[in-house]
Amino acid sequence: MHARAEGNAKASDAGVNETLHRLRTAGPALALVLVALLGLGFQLQLPRAFPSDADYRGAAEALARAKAPGDVVFLHPWWTERARLFVPADIPVVGYLGHTSDDLVAHPRIWVLANERLPRTPDADFRRNFLPDRTPAGESRQFGPLTLSAYRNGRARQVLLSAIDAFDRLEVSVEGPGAAPQPCQHAGGRVRCPFDASVEVAWHEVLYQPVRCLFVLPPSGGRTLSIRLPESPAAEALLLESGITWEHAWLPGRTDVQLTLESSTGALHLRIPGAHEGLVRGETPAVTAGPWTLKLSTASTQDRQICVRLRALGGSP
Amino acid sequence: MSRAPTALDRRIALGLWLATFVVLWATERAVGFVRDESVYFAAAEQFARWWALLFHRPAAALSDPVIVQAFDFNHEHPMLMKSLYGWSHALFHQTLGWVRPAAGFRIPAFAVAALIPALLHLWGSALWGRRVGLFAALCFFVVPRHFFHAHLACFDMPVAAMWFLVVYLFWRAEEDLRFAPWTGVAFGLALATKHNAFFLPVVLTPFGVLAGWRVSGEEGRRVMVRMAETAVAFLAYVALLIVVLGRQGLVQSWQLLSPQTFGVTALVVVLAALALQLRRKDPAAFVPISPLVAMGLLGPVIFYAHWPYLWHHPVDRMAWYFDFHATHVHYAWTYFNDVLRAPPFPLPYVFVVTAMTLPVSLLLPIGVGLARTGLRNLGDLVPALGRRFGRGGATEWLLGVNALFSILLISLPDVPHFGGVKHWLPSMPFLALLAGREFDRASAGLSSALGLTARRSIGTSVALGAIVLLPALTLTIHVHPYGTSAYGELAGGIPGAASLGLQRQYWSNNVTGVLPWIDAHSRSGTRLWLHEVNGLSFRDYQRNDMLRKDVIPTGGPEDADLAAVQYHQEFREQEVLVWQAFGTWVPATGLYLDETPQVVVYRRPKP
Repeated sequence: MHARAEGNAKASDAGVNETLHRLRTAGPALALVLVALLGLGFQLQLPRAFPSDADYRGAAEALARAKAPGDVVFLHPWWTERARLFVPADIPVVGYLGHTSDDLVAHPRIWVLANERLPRTPDADFRRNFLPDRTPAGESRQFGPLTLSAYRNGRARQVLLSAIDAFDRLEVSVEGPGAAPQPCQHAGGRVRCPFDASVEVAWHEVLYQPVRCLFVLPPSGGRTLSIRLPESPAAEALLLESGITWEHAWLPGRTDVQLTLESSTGALHLRIPGAHEGLVRGETPAVTAGPWTLKLSTASTQDRQICVRLRALGGSP
Repeated sequence: MSRAPTALDRRIALGLWLATFVVLWATERAVGFVRDESVYFAAAEQFARWWALLFHRPAAALSDPVIVQAFDFNHEHPMLMKSLYGWSHALFHQTLGWVRPAAGFRIPAFAVAALIPALLHLWGSALWGRRVGLFAALCFFVVPRHFFHAHLACFDMPVAAMWFLVVYLFWRAEEDLRFAPWTGVAFGLALATKHNAFFLPVVLTPFGVLAGWRVSGEEGRRVMVRMAETAVAFLAYVALLIVVLGRQGLVQSWQLLSPQTFGVTALVVVLAALALQLRRKDPAAFVPISPLVAMGLLGPVIFYAHWPYLWHHPVDRMAWYFDFHATHVHYAWTYFNDVLRAPPFPLPYVFVVTAMTLPVSLLLPIGVGLARTGLRNLGDLVPALGRRFGRGGATEWLLGVNALFSILLISLPDVPHFGGVKHWLPSMPFLALLAGREFDRASAGLSSALGLTARRSIGTSVALGAIVLLPALTLTIHVHPYGTSAYGELAGGIPGAASLGLQRQYWSNNVTGVLPWIDAHSRSGTRLWLHEVNGLSFRDYQRNDMLRKDVIPTGGPEDADLAAVQYHQEFREQEVLVWQAFGTWVPATGLYLDETPQVVVYRRPKP
């Protein structure tokens, strides 16, 4: 009996060994099949992450019904810009690489249009950079794979005045060392200046961010461009943001740009370093009503095409 | 084991060539014209006209001013493929009228690209069996980016085919002297295809020399040592010239009668004489060296003879050619949210992009195959590894080195990194071959584990092959004709790659996705800006009936009615400029591949 049991055990061991051997022999094929099936499964389920036109239209209709002045649509992930085809044209859509760090100061309410079913959606970046100071405002709504959620923007401020809105009132001149200021002329939508300088309101890209700004070509010869707004309201702060547009920013060997904002609180100095990409920012303390003057100069104007955004900010809206 | 394929394998290879050729032709119509391709179309047409002139007025055609007039355009690339494109277009489109203009140019590209699956089968079946050859052939061809590049009348896939052909013939010639001259001819054709081929001697010389040394006797070794001394003397001479003239001066002062010409001539003459001596004194040692001799003699001759542009001023025009590629401009390229614009580029870039763009079911056998080859080759040097994994031997070293050479070359931080996978395509057939062996091992293991008969084993191999190739095939079908946008499962597909911040697309051909909409929404005289599409491509879309002929190209959005912007991270400004010019940020339509914006179309609002 004992011997038979031992024999059975040996036979069973042999069976297990045989099975293990077979599995080991078939292992590479099984691994190939497994990976192929995973690949195929990925491809088959991927279309479920894609919203239909009807999903986008549903989200757009919900936005149209609930929209209020100052609203903005924020895309997550940032590149899902097909939404632009559907979102009502009067609501700005923000979707650019790095947009989670955008304070969106002019927008008290942010509509996040998210598609978290997409593979490798950068959720950690969203949580780390977007969510602080933003609180949900209402229930999220689902449109296929799209989620539409409203957030109250704790980083929003009242925008009392923006330099681009006051463009027609700007007094622009070129100042040279030891020479009297030479005034520039408003011509059409542009201010034309001596020494190849100019100012206009335009859309440009600064490190992938579309910015509507004062687009400034600074004067040559190390001269200073002076942009003066004769009257502006009192504000809790003046926010100055400036950067070099597009590929002109990264080019090596380019010179710094110096900016000085003079207001009732004194002077705010900013510098755009030679090969800096992106906006540099500075904020003044509270200012009283009165003029501001922005002075801007660079030693060499080559590739120094500057986008300037200057806003007077109030408190939270 | 003989390196010659069996008659059946030759027939299978021919079948693979034919099938590949037909599939490429059948799927060609949807593939847009990449920026460079339209330049090559134009160059090919120009060269074809010169060839016609050569037949009608040879004396005039052979004068340098006429040659320069015909060949100065796009003289940064040699002539072989462009000549074939031009002749094919002249025959199949202009003379016979059988095909549209683009297909006329592209037919030789299909024929040359189709060599790769055929050669993969010939080599794989001779090395490790029919299953390897077949899998390797299909494995290479169903990769979405390979399939895409195989359609183009460019040089990247042709030079991958030529590289593979040269190495295959070299391998055959190591055993059979009759293949040596063919290796030389193939090397000449490779040089005449693209400059990558100039690296082939670097890759192959050690193999030929070592193999010759191994089988040589005392006499033979003495001759080979003299050959090595000659090579060292030449290098010392070049070093001396560089010290005296400087790197720039070495190229710029090179004339027909100059120290540089003397050095090269002396090298060729002495090496050729020594090769003849080796053949006489030690024929066995000469056999492995013979393909190198043929490459050295025939390669430069074919390269010079095929390119009329070199005929009157070979030295300075060659010098310009080398200088152009040695100092090639760097184009912007997006890699994990960084726009790479200038060296140094990240070292793992090529490996990462390869892994991200290959379908994962092929990446696995390719990766394991490469690792196994590496370990087996190391097994030749480290006995412990040799006992565990087996030993590689000359052939496996040859495959391993060629599988990695182009990848490592482009990985160098100073080498231009734009162009997706196309610049290291010559590595990919070798990787496919190594994948074939892994597939074979897996398939054999499965049959053994299941205890299958030979007949059932074939059925199991076919089923396993179908399962492994299916994800790649579905991906290729899904993404066609937008191959430059293709990403594998590891990247998370096209949308995953967008979130990872990888290059969305390149070469502008994806514009075909919006041309039907543009056609339908334009009227006669509509001014159209196709961002990144050069003027020649614009013309080619019109003459191939892919874009209506009555729309007018513009150079920017300012004076355009319609604008189609290609999504590139480095070109975001271009889309914003459209917003500025059109006064709207709302697109009219676009090509969104798996949700990712590729080409975005704006229409100027009516006043």
